[in-house]
Amino acid sequence: MVSSDHLNLVYDIKLSSVGPGHVTGSDVVHEPSNMDLAMKLHYLRGVYFFSSEAVQGLTVYRIKEPMFTWLNHYYRTCGRFRRSNSGRPLIKCNDCGVRIIEAKCDKTIDEWLEMKDSSLTKLLVSNHIVGPELPFSPLVFLQVTSFKCGGMSLGLSWAHVLGDAFSASDFINMWGQAMANQLPQHPVDLPKSFSMLVKPANRSQLATDPLSIKRVDPVGDNWITANNCKMEPFSFHITATQLTQLQAKISGHKATPPFECLCTIFWQSIARVCSRHEPEIVTVCKNERGSRRTGTLSNSAQIISTVKADFSVKEAKPKDVAALLVEHAVDERGLIESAVERDGGVSDFIIYGANLTFVNLEEASFYGLELNGQKPVHVSYLIDGIGDEGVVLVAPPGPKDSGKDSSEGKIVTVILPEDQVMELKSELKREWSIA
Amino acid sequence: MASLSNSVKLKYIKLGYQYLVNHILTVFLIPILMGFLIKILSLGPDQIYEIGSALHFDLLQFLGFSLMIIFFATVYFMSKPRSVYLVDYACFKPPASYRVPHATLVEHLRLSNKDNPEIVEFQRRIIQRSGLGDETCLAPANLYIPPTPSLEASRAEAELILFSVIDDLLKKTGTKTKDIDILIVNCSIVSPTPSLSAMVINKYKLRSNIKSFNLSGMGCSASLISIDLARELLQVHPNSCAIVVSTEITTPNYYSGNERSMVLTNCLFRMGGAAILLSNKKADRSRSKYQLLHLVRTHKGADDKAYRCIHEQEDTQGIQGVSLSKDLMLIAGEALKSNITTIGPLVLPASEQLLFLFTLIGQKILKLKWKPYIPDFKQAFEHFCIHAGGRGVIDELQKKLQLSDKDVEASRMTLHRFGNTSSSSIWYEMNYIESKGRMKKGDRIWQIAFGSGFKCNSAVWKCNRTITTPTDGPWLDCIDRYPVSISQVLDL
Repeated sequence: MVSSDHLNLVYDIKLSSVGPGHVTGSDVVHEPSNMDLAMKLHYLRGVYFFSSEAVQGLTVYRIKEPMFTWLNHYYRTCGRFRRSNSGRPLIKCNDCGVRIIEAKCDKTIDEWLEMKDSSLTKLLVSNHIVGPELPFSPLVFLQVTSFKCGGMSLGLSWAHVLGDAFSASDFINMWGQAMANQLPQHPVDLPKSFSMLVKPANRSQLATDPLSIKRVDPVGDNWITANNCKMEPFSFHITATQLTQLQAKISGHKATPPFECLCTIFWQSIARVCSRHEPEIVTVCKNERGSRRTGTLSNSAQIISTVKADFSVKEAKPKDVAALLVEHAVDERGLIESAVERDGGVSDFIIYGANLTFVNLEEASFYGLELNGQKPVHVSYLIDGIGDEGVVLVAPPGPKDSGKDSSEGKIVTVILPEDQVMELKSELKREWSIA
Repeated sequence: MASLSNSVKLKYIKLGYQYLVNHILTVFLIPILMGFLIKILSLGPDQIYEIGSALHFDLLQFLGFSLMIIFFATVYFMSKPRSVYLVDYACFKPPASYRVPHATLVEHLRLSNKDNPEIVEFQRRIIQRSGLGDETCLAPANLYIPPTPSLEASRAEAELILFSVIDDLLKKTGTKTKDIDILIVNCSIVSPTPSLSAMVINKYKLRSNIKSFNLSGMGCSASLISIDLARELLQVHPNSCAIVVSTEITTPNYYSGNERSMVLTNCLFRMGGAAILLSNKKADRSRSKYQLLHLVRTHKGADDKAYRCIHEQEDTQGIQGVSLSKDLMLIAGEALKSNITTIGPLVLPASEQLLFLFTLIGQKILKLKWKPYIPDFKQAFEHFCIHAGGRGVIDELQKKLQLSDKDVEASRMTLHRFGNTSSSSIWYEMNYIESKGRMKKGDRIWQIAFGSGFKCNSAVWKCNRTITTPTDGPWLDCIDRYPVSISQVLDL
């Protein structure tokens, strides 16, 4: 919960909507894939901080006007959900629009970032969910907050059912291109479907659910799960030098990729502090480079695999855990899709946090959003609506941090039950010198 | 078979009757002239000379006679009203960023009226049946939840619309700002100080002796009132030109209350504006698009019900809005009838007038049970521009005047693409007809506008030259999609 002193930090809230400038057409619908529906209870909350030089001369109107051209390409994000006769959700592309929030803050960007309080991010980005009324719930919220120093933050609140973090990042980066009048000539060829194909539910298969997903109690039209405990986010900035040292400590002569190194560290540390049970299965999410088409929104180009440890992770040698992560990840996407399809897309699942989940966002171009030719000074992303097991996000660092050698530092954001946070921080400091 | 041949026969009888009555003078004169000619030709040239010399023409008489003819001709030409030409006009095309899709409007209404789902549902039903399309536009203040009207925002909208259409018009007609003699701006709801006409004069640095007028509060028919005023001024001032600018500012129009009679403005009124250049200069005659033939104004304000029909007021909670009475259609019908009674004799061919007279005599004097004869206005006009007040208004007028779907197409399509833009809608309709390539030289156009008061105003224009399809204007990027068929109830 945000403390009472902080409640008035962001004020003068104004709501409006922005949609595509061109008419998409009547009766245009988009049917989410099974993978999309598996992700529907998750939300991405990204905040981009820009210095005053980057946003000089940008009035609210100048910010909004290019959005109408930009959203011609992404009319799907401006639609609203409906349910077909079978109960399967689909998006009616009725140009309703994305919601824009305008706000002000009396701190400067530097003061805000100094506060290092990840929970305050909630004030800069909407915590919306889809529901309780599907036809009137926007899928995307954009919050533009003006700071005392003239800087600005852009909060992107994104329903994961539309696409993964890479898609969301590409989406918002294209707005930056629209601001600079550099949009591609023709809208990306997103196929428009006019019919409402209803696939009958395949109930003949009695297969069990894959390890990476968790079936939750039906949430109806209110697309969020409740956690049994309060989840708290916190971030670490791991410099390039630190990363090299950690890699050396884990695998010695054989180089383990940075992401798997960090997964090893956090898996072991969380295993050691977690009082309830030791996580023996983890879910790993990574970008599948080859299958992503520029400008498309998708959940299917993110590999979701599980790694199962038959040994005790907290006592094992780090290099064994690392080897496990590198060599024994099982891609479960096909199984996830079958599980969703079995019930005709009507059941509710969570993926992030069903097990301890590691999400590799290294390849997301978070710093690709440019205003007035300038990159953001800081970008942070969180996932909302996650399960109790927690999530670890590994994201690219800011433009200031690039190692002297070819490798870069990382920003690791951990979202865990609040009772584990203090212990984890001390474990990381003690064992790995991460603070 | 028999009925088909009967109806064909009836058609030919009707055509024959019309031709006979409308060209009665010709019908009588030709035989007389023929007779005269034959008589003369049957005489020899000597006999013609004899008849000529017998008439005893003497120089003085001849001169006196000629002078008298010249005198009467001069008096006639001097007292003839000056012709008023419409050189050209420009309509405002709102930017795509001002677009209000139906889904967005309904969602915003729900969020702004959380305590009152019934009024939201009522408005949603109106929007579904309104005949408006998904591309109509409102000023940005209306896209906030709840809308944020302010004087500054209203001024900004006025500046955008007025300067945009006037720039367009000046460029199209090649008019210099120093040549503008008369400026009339009409905008019903928004009337700040200094006035909108002063705003235009300031922006374009118009002459200090310009005759400027600002008409406010006169409703949706104000454009024709402004044209009438311009026409009167052009009678008094020779060799002059006038710019008439018609618009309605949508920024302050959102009604946030619960009265059903007052929510129609939210559902129908949209952004729009037009600027028209009128001239009485002889030099402009050849390049003008239209000539104004008649302008008839009818005011039913003396009747209390008509006066209160469209009424700006505060509701029981003190929220201001415009209330539309349930009798609107009835009153509009009465006003139209009044207007037609005046304009009919000016435009209808003699054949229609006679038929109407006969039916009237039969009904009132002979007390025969005849249906009132509705004159066929399609004989008087090639094109109709009925103010796009709403679907109901257009349907009602189509029925009353017995017009075809093609006759009211311009009105319906303007309502679909631009919504009810109040006083400027008749100009969008005119532009639609031009954009479709249907405007030919000699075509007569009837513009009918209704407005609060209750007023019904008509203007009759004659097309001066065949108009090539415009290469600019509000319909340019969408004319190929029109006409569209508009479903009775939209699926939102």
